[in-house]
Order: sequence, then structure tokens, then C-alpha cells
Amino acid sequence: MQKEAAIREPLILGHKTYHDITEDVCRPIEDKAPKMWYILFGIALVIGLYGVGSICYLLGTGIGVWGLNKTIGWAWDITNFVWWVGIGHAGTLISAVLLLFRQKWRMAINRSAEAMTIFAVFMAGTFPLIHMGRLWVGYWTLPLPNQFGSLWVNFNSPLLWDVFAISTYLSVSLVFWYIGLIPDFATIRDRAKKPVAKKMYSILSFGWSGRAKHWNRFELVSLVLAGLATPLVFSVHSIVSFDFATSVIPGWHTTIFPPYFVAGAVFSGFAMVQTLLLIMRKAMGLEAYIHTKHVEYMNIVIMVTGSIVGTAYITELFISWYSGVEYEAYAFLNRATGPYWWAYWSMMTCNVISPQLMWIRKLRRSLLFTFFISIVVNIGMWFERYVIIVTSLHRDYIPAAWSMHFPSHIDIAVYIGTIGLFFVFFLLFARFFPVLALNEVKTILKGSGQSYKESPDYHEHH
Amino acid sequence: MGLTRKYWKGIEELKETPEFLKHKEQEFPSQQTIEQFLADDNLAETSTARRDFLKFLGFSVAAATLAACEAPVTKAVPYVVKPENVTPGMPTWYASTYYDGNSYASILVKTREGRPIFIKGNHEFGFTKGGTNPQIVASVLGLYDSERLTGPKANKKDVSWSSVDKEIAAAIKSAKKVTLLSNTVISPSLNRAIAEMTTALNGEGGSKFEHVQYDAVSYSAIRQANLKNFGAPIIPGYDFSKAKTIVSLDADFLSSWLLPTEFAVQYGQTRIPGDYMSKHFQFESVMTVTGSNADYRGMAKPSELAGILAYLIKGLGGNPGVNASVPAGSKLAADEAVKALKKSGKNSLVVCGLNNVGLQILTNKLNNLLKAYGNTIDLTNTIELFKGNDTTVQKLVKDVISGKGPEVLLMYGVNPVYTLPNGEEFGKALSKITTVSFASHEDETASLCKFICPDHHALEGWNDYKAKANQYAIAQPTIRPLHNTASALESLLVWNGKAQREGKDSAVAYDYIASTFDVTIPVGDFAFTTHNSCSDVAIVPATLTYTDASASNLPKGNDLEVVLYQKAGIGTGSQANNPWLQELPDPITKVTWDNYITMNPVTMEKDGYVTTYDQEHGLNTATVTVNGKSVTLPVYPMPGQAIGTIGIALGYGRGANGEKIGKAAYQTKEYGGHDLGENGKPKAIGANVFGFVSTNNGTYEYSNGAKIAKANGTYSIAATQIHHTVMGRHSIVRETTLDIFANRDKEAYNPAHKLEKLNKEGHHEERPVSEFDLWDAHPVEKIGHRWGMTIDLSSCIGCGTCLIACQAENNVPVVGKDEVRRGREMHWLRIDRYFSTEEEAAIGTKKDKDNFSYDKAEHAAENPKVVHMPMLCHHCNHAPCETVCPVAATTHSNEGLNQMAYNRCIGTRYCANNCPYKVRRFNWFNYPSYKKFVEVNPAQDDLGRMVLNPDVTVRTRGVMEKCSLCVQRIQSTKLVAKKEARVVADGEFATACSDACPTNAIIVGDWNDIKSNIRKSSEDKRAYQALEEVGVKPNIWYKVKVRNEENSELNKLQVAEAKVEHKKSHH
Repeated sequence: MQKEAAIREPLILGHKTYHDITEDVCRPIEDKAPKMWYILFGIALVIGLYGVGSICYLLGTGIGVWGLNKTIGWAWDITNFVWWVGIGHAGTLISAVLLLFRQKWRMAINRSAEAMTIFAVFMAGTFPLIHMGRLWVGYWTLPLPNQFGSLWVNFNSPLLWDVFAISTYLSVSLVFWYIGLIPDFATIRDRAKKPVAKKMYSILSFGWSGRAKHWNRFELVSLVLAGLATPLVFSVHSIVSFDFATSVIPGWHTTIFPPYFVAGAVFSGFAMVQTLLLIMRKAMGLEAYIHTKHVEYMNIVIMVTGSIVGTAYITELFISWYSGVEYEAYAFLNRATGPYWWAYWSMMTCNVISPQLMWIRKLRRSLLFTFFISIVVNIGMWFERYVIIVTSLHRDYIPAAWSMHFPSHIDIAVYIGTIGLFFVFFLLFARFFPVLALNEVKTILKGSGQSYKESPDYHEHH
Repeated sequence: MGLTRKYWKGIEELKETPEFLKHKEQEFPSQQTIEQFLADDNLAETSTARRDFLKFLGFSVAAATLAACEAPVTKAVPYVVKPENVTPGMPTWYASTYYDGNSYASILVKTREGRPIFIKGNHEFGFTKGGTNPQIVASVLGLYDSERLTGPKANKKDVSWSSVDKEIAAAIKSAKKVTLLSNTVISPSLNRAIAEMTTALNGEGGSKFEHVQYDAVSYSAIRQANLKNFGAPIIPGYDFSKAKTIVSLDADFLSSWLLPTEFAVQYGQTRIPGDYMSKHFQFESVMTVTGSNADYRGMAKPSELAGILAYLIKGLGGNPGVNASVPAGSKLAADEAVKALKKSGKNSLVVCGLNNVGLQILTNKLNNLLKAYGNTIDLTNTIELFKGNDTTVQKLVKDVISGKGPEVLLMYGVNPVYTLPNGEEFGKALSKITTVSFASHEDETASLCKFICPDHHALEGWNDYKAKANQYAIAQPTIRPLHNTASALESLLVWNGKAQREGKDSAVAYDYIASTFDVTIPVGDFAFTTHNSCSDVAIVPATLTYTDASASNLPKGNDLEVVLYQKAGIGTGSQANNPWLQELPDPITKVTWDNYITMNPVTMEKDGYVTTYDQEHGLNTATVTVNGKSVTLPVYPMPGQAIGTIGIALGYGRGANGEKIGKAAYQTKEYGGHDLGENGKPKAIGANVFGFVSTNNGTYEYSNGAKIAKANGTYSIAATQIHHTVMGRHSIVRETTLDIFANRDKEAYNPAHKLEKLNKEGHHEERPVSEFDLWDAHPVEKIGHRWGMTIDLSSCIGCGTCLIACQAENNVPVVGKDEVRRGREMHWLRIDRYFSTEEEAAIGTKKDKDNFSYDKAEHAAENPKVVHMPMLCHHCNHAPCETVCPVAATTHSNEGLNQMAYNRCIGTRYCANNCPYKVRRFNWFNYPSYKKFVEVNPAQDDLGRMVLNPDVTVRTRGVMEKCSLCVQRIQSTKLVAKKEARVVADGEFATACSDACPTNAIIVGDWNDIKSNIRKSSEDKRAYQALEEVGVKPNIWYKVKVRNEENSELNKLQVAEAKVEHKKSHH
């Protein structure tokens, strides 16, 4: 008699056939969009356009329309940048690292997580661009041959490293995502009836024919890209953290930043994936593919990275005291008890306490609770960046220059606007792209054997 | 040979082919003329014509569009005939003299291509010895004020000079009584012209013409007291440089009292700790610039000053004749003062700032007791300023109001409608008589006058002055008058029939001054005097003897006393339209663009006022009522304000009825434009409190009993500093006492920051932080120049002159109240002001390191000590800003300068974030052209733009800027030296700030020159680098603040710690 370990829950619930998967993924693309989609898209578009308008006003008038001042040169702009980059971390982690670790559960979520990554990186990239005083000469950050004599970029500057890190990350993520999409586009192409759609999807699918050769190359490229992308998962946020870590400002000048930022990024990225997928699985009827088990896995990642982040916070506090550096000690005392105490304690509550609740199995398997926590974590992670950036700057070395930061309505509009734009992109993705890597998911479908096992015949024989 | 050489255009010519020969004579190869070509009937039918046309059209449109994309072309008109003495690109300096009725100084005016652009003190000539104040330096901007009157006016209409002259001369002739109301005239020529007029109009024994001198802020009590004590209504000369003990009662002699331009320089000489250092006691109610520099500062109400003076007199064995009582807040200072005065005897100086005859008599008594006369007080070389007699003024004002006054009233250099306590009534009465004003603007008084005959701006005309008995000074024009104005001297001469108008290039005033000079100093050389701006006058020693007088009519006590004071920037309000001065942070409160009620935070907390403020949180307002008049102003928490007193600055509330006194004199809205009041006219900045001036036995007194009531609402405050203490940070501010400084070694009060390091034997060893370096040293040491600066915290008085000089030199934009409130002022140099706290033994020294409360350290002490710390780019050799710029827009020069390439800057602001000193300034908007700054930024209009220094780029929006250590001056100094084939001499190069500093607190120079002043100064025992442990290796050193006081707490720490150090090194 054959014994099977029954530890693992199935990754796809119900008795899905290959055809069911194709149907489930392609139907939303082929059907008319539901009314709700139009409503959501409309709202997101309006908010996004408001943000775009605010950015235009910013570019036309000057950085002064934000609430920055002589002491606080970065606030919401770079906070939002780091926040979005952090969110953009989950996609690559899921698609690359989990691929290398053969985590099959990732297949249900990797497509949308990668899409989220790309859109989040778009949003993130906006901020370093618009935060420049003179965007129109922003291309000077690229090491281009120029007519200014021997004028070259400053390779010592972490901002320059950012330029390379973010652009590399974006391009690799984009390629990775697109490669994965090719077989799925081909499936849609084959099913498409309308000539325009057929044409479009046939262009997008690069003439994929599903031959074994194609699949072979597909697998190889995926592995190569995963290999390439894996270091990027760690490099991007490490480099973003260098913006702060290499400076001389107390509260920024910290060697713990790279791992702490990477953990924080994964933490916030998974939270955002949770937020999006919990809505999407419901809206698009993907409950069979993305279910409690997936949510639980992700919650465990959130719990682990959240604990790393929490440890980092406490380490920082300890080191600030232990180092005996007056300014460092004050920076952290000020974070916790100064005028921005509310931001600090919001961050602590959201990022340190809330993920610890995930130790409770019941809670981490509760979809409603997960949704709530995912929002909380994203709020917390925004505050983390705000706390790092603003509370370090607002009271640094010279007390006479100490200041407070008050956001202007343009600060808020630009931030909210990027959230709107993000959802515009994401809703378009959900409408026109296969939200599940359907051809990959098919590989984890328990085949006829499983169906047989669960059929009455099987039980009769044993 | 050369003549026979043959040139040929082509091989055809050389070979002389037949084709060539055929066409040789034809210049143009085509045989068709243009007429023939155009007359060709087939032309229209050619198939390509239309397409070619479209091609050309397309190209032209594209070319025109591309051309239009270029920046607009601004034409620069070159000199067709180069004027003599003007070399484009080279400045021309004129020695001149500044006097506005309130401030006086010998100055140098820098002109570029005929435009005066910068004023600095004249270090070589004149008794002010280079001393200036913010108002004098900023006055150059007033020349280019677009709302200055451009010509004479009669009944508000523009008229010609000939017609006003005729009408005024006729009015003077026919009037029964003519009065000239002027500020104190110290011009010998103007006095001579007035005397001539008096003779002409009064004849013998007549009284038709009268000259009344009136000072906006009166000092007549000093003259009255001296009349009683010495029989002469003089203001003696004071010499603070000789005074070992200085006792000042409410006299802000470093910033606003009497002749601060001279006194600050003298004071500075005594504040560099060495063998000796003056001991300065201040008893005052509002904390003034002077009080903030005192070694001991006592808090006292104006009415309590008499008691303190009596206490001091009694302590020195005299009989004050007044009850000697000292308020609690002044007890320590008074006791110490008695000790110090006893010790220094005749080398003491007591001054009193209150315009009260009784108090001045007590002051004289004390000075006499000390034998200060003939020592620190000079009865011979008297101060000729402030001759206004309050009684005479009051009589005139009363007469004018009651209609019994003169029929013709000429007003020169005064604005009585604004500055009189009963100015409004006076103004109403002016309509009944013929009034003539010489004002440059249609101000409060001039707008009510029948005739306005605008005087030249001080930089446009000739003038002569005698501010002290022994010095005759000349003010010379530095530019041809911009407008159709005329010298007041000339106007008086013309109306008196002594001269004719000569138009813009009139020599009337010059000729008259030259002839006055010949009379005043017969042996002098006028040309030489105009070159140097001044000349000595022989004086006869005075033979005045002191007679005792009784002090009466002393200030009466009140529960709440309001003190009216002058701010360093605004003074009496004559330059309220000067945006540089409005945006100059007050030296003590750091508030810009406003006046306010100052109150001790202790009282404020008790009475429920908020004591903190920031961008979004304003201060509570309150209504102060004096004599039935009231004003509502925000209440500012001013530590050190005597309990039971409040202070309000004079000089605000200018143009309250919308008079055209200049764009910058009014409140602006958040997005630009003037804030209009209920009457539809722009709102004045702050409120006028001249109405609160009281009259005590005929003298104007600048304090009064008051009532205060909390009003509704808050008022937003634009301050450049919202945190007021240094939080015990010893590496920013270092302070010690004279005793410790003189008797202990450097380790006691200025220890190097140390880190542990492994020595050769492998043991841990403490070494100074300067020995630790992860980086290669920047190659500026020992090679070429390395520019550096030292700033002496002991002699810096915080006056703010350097800040304005920097603003003028470096085209620093003015941003207006709303932007300052948002923490975006652009000043390259700021002066950080720190108050001491109860947690600190001295500013920057924690009393108890282990139990230091950061919470308590945020609150200033009730009567705090103060440190002024000028803060500017430190030009770090390991500059944190340089490494983080992605495009290398900020780099290090091989002369140790941290330089900004504005053109390269993309505006990431990373450099500003990473600057430990927070001295970088970002162009948040396009300050020279964005609409929000029209009202306040002088660079916004064509006239105001003329003040810009052509050597310094005007920065565009989105780029970072900061102190360049006046690199343009460095370059020109180097060029001069290079042309003369020599090295740059020490002291040859000065930054705008070091040049402007009246106390020489700022020293600059080439640090690599080992004999230089800067090198020596930086190696002084007191020299330290702020935030040295950050390791940025700045090129700026500070010098420890030394206070001449007893400080047992500090003694305990610095002396005890030094002992510990001592032990360690022996083990």
C-alpha cells in the first residue's frame, strides 16, 4: 500500500482541471469588465490625475510648494520614494528567491506581485525625479559623454548609486515579469476572437507556439533571470539605505541600515501583496488558487521580517545609548519623546507589535484580520521612513537650526496621487493581463491521479 | 621679389583655358539678370516651386521656433565714451559719511559702473573706526527704492522746481512766522544756511524764523542733566575702550543708544580676554543686544533703576539722596557692580539709557564719584548728535495743534506725524498751515504737506557733518541723482535768495560746503578731506566743573511698565521699507518682519500665554493700553525680560494709512500681493507705539505704565530660530570665565575631543580627534592658499551688521515673512543665539552629565546668559556635502574652499541635509521673478536690481547656495597681488562679514601663511572647531566665549575636570 504524507495542504483547492484554470484566468479578460471595475478605475484615475496636476504645479512653481525648509530638505518626497521602493520588493522576492527555493506556492501570487513591483517602482521612481530642484537637467545624473569638458558624475554619491540600483531593478523586474507573461499571452491569443485583441496579444506573445524547445528556453531564462534578480532584491534597498547610512546625520549614520531596510522592504511588500490579493481573489473569483494557505505563508514572511525590523529598531535604540555619542543618543531620545513621538509610536505599534499577532494560527489564517494588518503594516512602514528622514533632520547637530516639518497640501496630493496612479496601472493590469501565471499554475495541479484518489472508486479499492 | 609673385584662383587661371578667358571679365557667372529670371513665364509652371516653397517655409518656421526657444536677449549697452575713473569690472570706492538723524558713521561706498552697491565702515578715517550698523549697510538699497519721490510735488501733483521755489519763497516772505522743524542738524553748512536764513528773516531781534530740532528718539535728558551738573547742555564723549567696568542702565549702547557705531568698536577692544577684559554690568527690562553681552545682567523695571543707581552710589560711599533699593532680579549684579566699580575707580563708566533728567543726574553723580570725568568721559570732545529739546518741540507741537503756530512749517529729516506721541492730532493741524517737507517718500507727514521738495538720497548729494566736536566729515555723491530731487541745502539757499537752481548736476551744495569748510577749518585741505571723508578740528579743552544737583521727577513705578526700545534693524522706523532690514532677524528674538510684546515666559505661563511657536503655531495676542491708546500685538516669550515689564519696539506700523513709503513696508499675503486691511489699504507691519511715549516734566520718556489684556486669536511669527538653547552641547558652544581662562591651561576650558587608539605598544591611548582620519588629507595644507576664518564668541556682540553686509555683497534674496515663517530664509550667514538654561553651568556645559534633563534644557533660564554664534559655511576639508552630490556640483577648491557650481546643481538637497551646520540654502522658488516676491525682493524691479553685485551670480530656482567665503573678493585680491607680482599680504583679503564686524570678531586670511593673523588666531588657546568630532575638518574656528564673571558651578566642573585630566596623564 502506498502511504502519502498528508502534511501539506493542496495549493489549488477543488477539482480544477487544466481547462478550468485557463477559463478562470482568461474569463475576466475576455468578458466585459464589471461595473465595479469601472467605478474603481474612475476613482483611481481621478486621484491619479489630481496627483499629476499637483506634480505639474510643483514643476512649474518650484519645490517651495512642498512643506520643506532649510533644515528639512527631504520629507514626504523621499519618504514616499523609499516606501514605494520597499513595496516594490515583494514581487522580485517572490518570483526570484522563492523560485530558486522551489516554493511552489509562489506561482499563484507571483504574477500580480511582480506587476505590483513594477508599478510601485514606477511610483517610487517619480519621487527622486520630481524632488529635484531642476528636473530638466536631471539627466546629468547619468554618466553620459557630454560637452561640459570632463564633467562627470560623482561616483561617491549614494544618490548616483540609487540611479543605477533603481534603474537596474526596474529593468530586470520588467523583463522577468514579461518573460513570464509570454506563454500566458499566447494562451489568450489562441482564445481571442476579436481581431484587434488577437493581433495585440499575438504581438505581445512574441510568436510563442508552446513547443518543447520554447518551454525549455523559457525555463532556462527564468532561472537565469531569477539568479540575476536575487542579488537585486538585496542590493536595491541596501543602496537606498546608503542614502542615509553614508551621511553624517545622527539617526541616519547607521551601519544596521542595509539589512534593516531590506527586511522592512520585504515586510511592507508582502503586506501590499496581501492587500491587493485579498481583494483580487474575491473580485476575480480566484479563491481556489489563492487561499488561506497562501495567505498564511505570506503572513509568516510578514511575521519573520517584522520581527527582524523590530529587532533592528531596538538594536538602534540600544546602540544609540551604548555608543555614548551625544547626538546619536539625543536623536533617538527625540524620536521617542520629542515632538514627533506620535510618528515614532505609530511606527512601533504598526511594525513591531502588529506582526507578532501572527504567531496565533487562527489570526494568521483569518483573511479579514490579515487584510487589516496588511494596511496597518503599510501605514507603519510609511511612518518608519518618515521617522527616519524627518525626525533625524529636524533636530540634528545645531539646535539653532532645529525645525519642524509641516506638509503642504501639495505634499499630500502628490502622495495620494501616486497611490491613485498605482491603482490605475494595477486595475489595467487586472483587466487586460493574466493575473495568474496560468501556465505555471498548471504545473502544480494535482493531475488525474489526485482526482482518482478522491473518487469513490479509489476508496472502494482500499 | 614679392611684387612679382603671382596668385591664381584655380588651375584654369594658371593654364589660361579659353573657357576661363571667356568668363574672366564677368563677375557673376549667370548670364541671366534677376529681372530676366523673374520675367521667365515658365517659372510659375515649374513643378518644384510650390514644394520648394513649402520646404523653405517649413524650415523657416522651424528655425524661427528654435530661435524663439532661446532665453530672451538682454541688451547690455557698452560705454561709448568711457568715463574717467570708471573701468568696467573694477569697483570704485568713495569715502563718505552716513548720517540719518539717528546713526552716524564714516563709510566707504563701493560703486560698480557708476552704481553704488555696497557700504562698509571706513577703518582708516573717522572716529567710528569702521564701525557701522545694519541700518547703515542696508541704506544703499533705499537708493533704488522704486517708490521714492522722483521730483517736487505741490498739493500731491508733480510740479517743477521753479514753480515750488516761487510759491515757497513767496509763502516764507509773506508769513508772520516760519519754523524749520528738523532732526538734529550736524551739518555745519546746513547750520550756516539756517543761520543765514534766520538773519535774513529775523533781521535784528525779530522772531519770524525759528529752527526747532527734534529727534525721533530723544536724548534731551542727558543734555538737561549736564546743564544742571556742568552748566552746559552737552552730551560728552564716552570712551568704552578705557572702561574696565561698564555699568549700563537700560542703555543699549552697542546697538541703538547714542552712538553705537563708535561704542561697539571701543567695546570690542575690551572684550578680547588677555591681560585685561572689561567687566560689563547691565540693568535693564527688555533684553537688548548690549544686555545679552553683559557679564552680569540684572532685570529691573525702568522705575527701579533709580534705586539701583542709588545703591551703587551708596556702595561707593556717596550720598544718593534717593532711596537705595535693588529688585531681587538685580541683586547679584548690583553687588558685583559695587565691587567692580570700587576696584576700577576712574576706569569705570556708567551710562543710563532712560531719557529722564533725574536718572541722568544720578548717573552723573555716580560717574563723578568714580572720577570718570576726564577719563572715560570726555567733556571736551562732545557728541554733537541729538540736540533736540523736548520742551521746545512740545511747545511747537502744541502751538501747531492749537492753531497758534507758524504759518509756514518746513520739515526736514523728521516724520513727526509718525514719531510724535500725539502725531495724529499734529497731522490734522497741518492742513491749516503751509507745510513743506523734504522727505524722500510721501510718508505719514509728507503726505499731509502742501509741498514736498524731496532731498537727494544720502548717496546722491554733498553734505558735511560734525558729529563730534573734533571731527569734520564730508559726505560725497557716489552717483548722479537718479531722480529730479534736490539737495535740501540747495533748496534752503534758493528760498533764501542765496542761490539758483542748477538742476541735476548742481554744484550749489558743493560750493557752499567748500566755502563752509574754509570757514570751519581755515588750515584744512578740502580736496584731501573729500578724499578721506574727514578731517580733525582743533578743540579747546573744556573747563567744566561738576556741581551736585538733586534728582527729581524719577520714573514712577507701575504694576506693569511698558518699555519702548529700538531694534537693530528697524530703529526708529525711517527704513521700515527696507526689506533687508525687515528680514534681518532681531539679534535677540530672531523674529523678522514684525514687532511684538516681549514678556518673560515665566509670567506668560502664569497668565496662560503660549510660550512656544513654530511655522504653524503662532503666539497669543494681547492688547496693551497706555493713556487710553491701545495696540494689539503678539506676545513673544523673551527670557530675561524683567518681571512686571513688557517691551515693544518702536519703528513699526509705518504707513498705517497706506502712505506710499515703499512696497516692503507692508504685510504680504501667502501667495503674493499686499494684505489689505479693512480700509482697503495695505496693512502696516506691526503697530506704532510712539503714542505710548510719556512726558515727564517736559522730557519724552520711553517707558510708561500700561495695562495688558489677552486678546483673541493667535498670530503667526516668522522667526529664523525656534529652538533657543544649545542643549548642553559642548562641541558647539564653549564658554569659560576670565578667571579660569587666565589661570588654567587650555584643557580646563577648551579640551580637545579625544578618542581611544592603539599605540605602538598595543595599549589604548587617548588621542585628539584630529589625529583620526579615514580619508586622505585634502591637498590644501602647506600648498598655495588655504582660506580660513576665526570667529571670536567673546567679542561677537550679535549686532547683525555682518548678516546685512553678506546679503548686500552676495545678492542674497529677500523672501518675505511667509517664507521665513516656513524656515526658508536665504541668509548665507546667520547668527545663532543661545540662551543659558538651568541645566547648564555655562552655555554648552552640562551641570550634571549623568542627570541632564533634555526636557528642562529646552527652556531658557528666567534671566539667561546669551551667546551669539555667527554660523556660515565651514568650508570643510572633508565636506560631507561634497561627497553626496550626485553631479559633483559642490566641490573643494585647492584653496580649501567648498565651492558651489550653481550651473551644475540639479537640486537634490542632499548636501543641505548632510551639512552638520545646516548652512546651505535652497532656492525654493525663482526669487528674482516669481510673483510672490514682487513686494519684498529688491531684485524684482528694474531699479532695485541695480543694487546687485555684478561679481556674484543671481541664483535661479532649484539650486543650492551658501557662503562662498566671498570668493569673488578672494579672486580680485589675488589678481591685484598678481599684477603687482607679489604674494597676497595678510589682511589684504576680507570677507563682507569680517569687513563689517565692528568688534573685529571675525578674522579671515590665508591659513597657510604661518605668520598670518588667522593662523595665529586659529592656534590660540581659545580656538576650537565646532562639531570637531564629526571629522569634517572645517576651515572655520570659533574662540571660546569668556565671561568676566564668577561662576562657581563652572569652576567646579572645569577646574575639577582639569585636575582629573592631570592625574590621568601622570599614571
